[in-house]
Amino acid sequence: MQTDGPVTPSTLSVKDLPWQILWSKEKCSLCGRCTAVCPVNAIELGVFRKRVLDVSIDPSHPPSNLYQVYHGIRQKTDPAYSCVGCASCSLVCPNDAIFPMHSDEVDKLRFHKDRGGQPRRRGGRRNVAQSTLDQIKFIRISMLTDPALDAGRHEFELRTLLGRILPPEDNLAFLSENGWIPPVREIYPLIIGSMSFGALSPNMWEGLQLGISYLNDELGMPVRMCTGEGGCPPRLLRSRFLKNVILQIASGYFGWDEIIHAIPEMKVDPCAVEIKYGQGAKPGDGGLLMWYKVNRLIAAIRGVPAGVSLPSPPTHQTKYSIEESVAKMIQSMYMAWGFRVPVYPKISGTSTAMAVLNNLARNPYAGGLAIDGEDGGTGAAYNVSMNHMGYPIASNIRDAYLTLSTIGMQNELPLFAGGGIGKNGNLAANAAALIMLGASGVQIGKYAMQAAAGCLGSESDRCNICNIGLCPKGITSQDPRLYRRLDVDKVAERVVDMYLSFDTELKKIVAPLGRSTSLPIGMSDALGIGDHHAAERLKIKYVI
Amino acid sequence: METSETTQQGKQYHRISGKKYGARLESRTLEEQIQEAVAEGHRRIEVEAFGQHGIGGRLWRAGGEPLVIRISGHSGQRVGSMGYANTRIVVDGPASDDVGWLNAGAEITVLGNAANGAGNAMAQGKILVAGNIGARGMTMTKRNPRFEPPELWVLGSAGDYFGEFMAGGIAVICGWKPQTPENVLGYRPLVGMVGGKVFFRGPHAGFSQVDAKLIPIEDDDWRWLQENMALFLERIRRTELLESLSDRTQWQLLSFRTPQEKAAREKRPMADYRRQVWDAELGAGGLIGDLVSYDRSPIGLVTTGDLRRFVPVWENRKYAPPCEATCPTGIPVHERWRLVREGRVDEAVDLALSFTPFPATICGYLCPNLCMQACTRQSTGMAPVDVTQIGKASIEAGIPELPPESGRTVAVIGGGPAGLSVAWQLRRQGHRAVVYDMATSLGGKITATIPGSRIPKEVLDKELERVAEVIPHIHLHQKLEKTDVERLVEDYDFVVVAVGAQSPRTLPIPGKERLTPALEFLARAKENAVEVGRRVVIIGAGNVGCDVAAEAHRLGAEDITLVDVQEPLSFGKERMAAEAVGAKFLWPRATQAVTDQGVELADGETLSADTVVISIGDAPELSFLPGDITVEKGFIQVNEWFQTTNPKVFAIGDAVRPGLLTDAVGAGRKAAQAITDYLAGRRPMPDKRQMMDLHRVHLEYFDPRITGFEDVETCGSQCASCGACRDCGLCAAICPQTAIHREEIADGGYEYVVDPERCIGCGFCAGACPCGIWDLVENFPIG
Repeated sequence: MQTDGPVTPSTLSVKDLPWQILWSKEKCSLCGRCTAVCPVNAIELGVFRKRVLDVSIDPSHPPSNLYQVYHGIRQKTDPAYSCVGCASCSLVCPNDAIFPMHSDEVDKLRFHKDRGGQPRRRGGRRNVAQSTLDQIKFIRISMLTDPALDAGRHEFELRTLLGRILPPEDNLAFLSENGWIPPVREIYPLIIGSMSFGALSPNMWEGLQLGISYLNDELGMPVRMCTGEGGCPPRLLRSRFLKNVILQIASGYFGWDEIIHAIPEMKVDPCAVEIKYGQGAKPGDGGLLMWYKVNRLIAAIRGVPAGVSLPSPPTHQTKYSIEESVAKMIQSMYMAWGFRVPVYPKISGTSTAMAVLNNLARNPYAGGLAIDGEDGGTGAAYNVSMNHMGYPIASNIRDAYLTLSTIGMQNELPLFAGGGIGKNGNLAANAAALIMLGASGVQIGKYAMQAAAGCLGSESDRCNICNIGLCPKGITSQDPRLYRRLDVDKVAERVVDMYLSFDTELKKIVAPLGRSTSLPIGMSDALGIGDHHAAERLKIKYVI
Repeated sequence: METSETTQQGKQYHRISGKKYGARLESRTLEEQIQEAVAEGHRRIEVEAFGQHGIGGRLWRAGGEPLVIRISGHSGQRVGSMGYANTRIVVDGPASDDVGWLNAGAEITVLGNAANGAGNAMAQGKILVAGNIGARGMTMTKRNPRFEPPELWVLGSAGDYFGEFMAGGIAVICGWKPQTPENVLGYRPLVGMVGGKVFFRGPHAGFSQVDAKLIPIEDDDWRWLQENMALFLERIRRTELLESLSDRTQWQLLSFRTPQEKAAREKRPMADYRRQVWDAELGAGGLIGDLVSYDRSPIGLVTTGDLRRFVPVWENRKYAPPCEATCPTGIPVHERWRLVREGRVDEAVDLALSFTPFPATICGYLCPNLCMQACTRQSTGMAPVDVTQIGKASIEAGIPELPPESGRTVAVIGGGPAGLSVAWQLRRQGHRAVVYDMATSLGGKITATIPGSRIPKEVLDKELERVAEVIPHIHLHQKLEKTDVERLVEDYDFVVVAVGAQSPRTLPIPGKERLTPALEFLARAKENAVEVGRRVVIIGAGNVGCDVAAEAHRLGAEDITLVDVQEPLSFGKERMAAEAVGAKFLWPRATQAVTDQGVELADGETLSADTVVISIGDAPELSFLPGDITVEKGFIQVNEWFQTTNPKVFAIGDAVRPGLLTDAVGAGRKAAQAITDYLAGRRPMPDKRQMMDLHRVHLEYFDPRITGFEDVETCGSQCASCGACRDCGLCAAICPQTAIHREEIADGGYEYVVDPERCIGCGFCAGACPCGIWDLVENFPIG
């Protein structure tokens, strides 16, 4: 009901909202499916009064008014129930009678999303669609030079190495001096990055794991997935599938006692351990899993009682320097599996990344460095952190690679890049660009959610409600009523499709380079960009 | 070496040497010589080659006549490339790369091994190799439907990447003394194959499963192979091998997969993988089967039963409508309108007596009708339902049926609206109430000071008569002292103090003795016992001041001014009445003195006045109260049940805090309820119902052009019945799932019930309900 009372500063009209629900009275059959499915209750049945004037100028039949009532779909304007544009309504509408349209101007709602002094928090990604990676072209096309390779016909070695690779002389010296050589994994260069059990729904998480397991077992692709911080289901820890898993430890240390208890019962070693120091989506900020999301399942996996809030602080509470982190954490993590499992840190993209890298270069235990750029996604963060904090991945990874080249270690300490890879759908092109800029592999999150589970989020601020547990696709919800919308098998099938098509596309890119025996890591002479400043900064060719 | 005629097998050959004057000819020159020889009519040509390329192709100048090219020496690359169907080429030894490249019909026999690319891109003709072939044989071959398919026969084995992108033709790999005995087809054969077939004999190390498939050799296939094998062996001069190569069991046949087969490529279905591999390793229920027991199988977006995210609830009478919630007396106005709608006007009228002894006097005339101010209809600018109509009609209400007396007694000090209300309610609960009042008549302020213009005397009298019938024990003209009250406290179960506020507040200014207190003025005015003069100034412009103004006008005053130190608090009928008689309101103005001229204001102005009335409120006169009853700032201190610091003594009305008549009546009702509870040994319980959220009510069903109400029936029809079901059945009708139906219940009432197995939780019931009965709430948590 629209009141005629006084407006408040936050009284908004439909026009002021970011999304307008377009509803067709003509097409609607009033089936109720749209209001039943709307994740944020932005729409409801409305009662509309229509006035019809019975016109007459005949004094013996004076004009009169007739009121008719009809029912239809009404959009709420209360900021707490504003449409997020997910279009679940359209998805279920039998008559295509309803869909959200994005406002043609900057919405007014954004100025009011701070009720109670609480700034806006959301899930998703940086609301900027532009991508430097998309601008990078692969300009080296071998036709009559180099071996002219055929992506469809030739065989390509696309695996990459994760772990510290010693130069031969050091290798021999290590072996003779302390009898140890750092463990190295041969893995597929497209890694499903850290998304926790808790941030993702059980069905989503299992679908991803099932998909990569299938890729490993049935298709021979050594795909790996990082757990994110939130522990790892006990059964997975005790299964042979653990080899596909990169276990993450982060500042909340959730689930690690369960992992430690499982070590004696593990059939295989995990692929690696990732120590998270930062995240591209919310650099310098931590996380908080609210108590109401910590149901019995999440609690069991994280090794906590149900119904308590779980803070992951922005920093590791007892680590005050890179040196300390390396000394305490990397080495300790190696000890857990008898120095058989590579350990590497992950940081958010930052202007201080080279300081971290230099330190790692001097530490023989560092198994790599993962850098997560500003376009990374997250389940929950402050809008300001997501939109305004962070360092673009392209130049950060480039600087890191060139730094390693300068000290002659570019083949020894693998770099992994994350953050916005495939943000506009160009997964293989973005991944290949980063590899040729110097990454040994890439980590993806959002792309997997979009491709494997139909995530509706976008840089136009569509949906992006991962943080409130109401994901309309069931990807980031712990409510079975929502996450059972995801079929574990179908998610897994999509993971397989995604990897197979990525594989083909990556070959389409590397074949013309004449590279089939190893990934073209750092092969930057193949890259060009139509932006002179970007070319200078990335030290690649300026092409126009 | 010169060109010359030679003979072989009795046939004449035109001989062309690839050398001249001891120097090797360029490929171009040799090609020109061969073309020239053909043009000259030579049909048998022997070429002594020195690595020249492309020998034997493109010989259309023979005009379709058969042509034989023998090549001795070292043939170069692309022997017979673009060969014509009239051409038969015999290479007397091994051939270099790309023999038969783009062959368009020539038969090319190689009496040795052929290097890489044999038959590459050929579309017609045959290549017959007496040895092995190198890598990428039979690649990119075509089959043009206008011609017979091309053939490649290899006595030994094929090299790596055999048959890539093969799009037609037949290859036969005989596996006779193969170069690679463990694998006659080489590494990764048939990648990209889309047509043709490959007969082979001997072991292989796999082929492109996505492109090719092994098929059985049918009789026609075998017959073809046998017939052509004989021809092949004859051409390569190895006829002795026919028997060795004729064991059908040693042969296999590969064919291409059709596009349809490729689309339906066999991969293990994910569901099978999960069951056979994933769950087998992890255990039943997969990843978290050990931690949860509930079903995680896929469901749709629109669900019913326990899988609904939201469920509707029928909250009939859970909330108080705004009219009832804002009425200090607590009258359920909407219930009265429901009774009217049901044609039970008498019951609607009588219902009020459960709440007030003055339904006509107060609801119909004297009350500012907070219920109407709060009416949901007001929120959209529609006229509120006119409660004064049912109020005025209540004059007809009869005496309620009274229970026998319980033997418990309560003394009520004060016979004004508050005192009569508490006494009325106590009697209705069966207790005897004894009322004491100093005045000579009942009714307190209503009787004594409210102008007759605002309440017809006969209405008031009739209601007072009804009161007197219900409460027979009334002692008028009884001024009580402290000792009297102490005795009452001892003698009665409870005592209720309802003495009102009758001691006028005044100002400490010079001439204050010239001021007439408002209540005194009103009481005397009501008896027409006052001379007001022409000019009247009233200090204090509240509602009482407004009553004074109206009465002063009635008594002849012409120039009436109300002065106030702040914005006047007067409102409603009183204010309108004052304005209607032309009273002026001056504010903010402070009064400095009162003289025989009139009122001197602090800013120096003097308002001439014949009569000056002070109307800045009244305070209770409480000197009779026993010492154990706390008085704070001039008023009796009470708790939420109007109980004073002496638990046996209650206090209500203006003696507690100044208020409206309805506040006094409501306080009486509430105190009576508490007393009744205490007498029954119960703790009094507040009405915890919250006020109905206006947004749940839908007024679109009502006519917004109604600006006034003709009668109580119109009022009843236009009441939205906020929070109380009208039994219209709209919810059942709008429900898209036919999930709602009406059910009669035992006590004769009804309820609307949801079938959870049909309901999808769309909330249409809540959206459509005119009264706001339905709510949509979150379903119970799972997991």
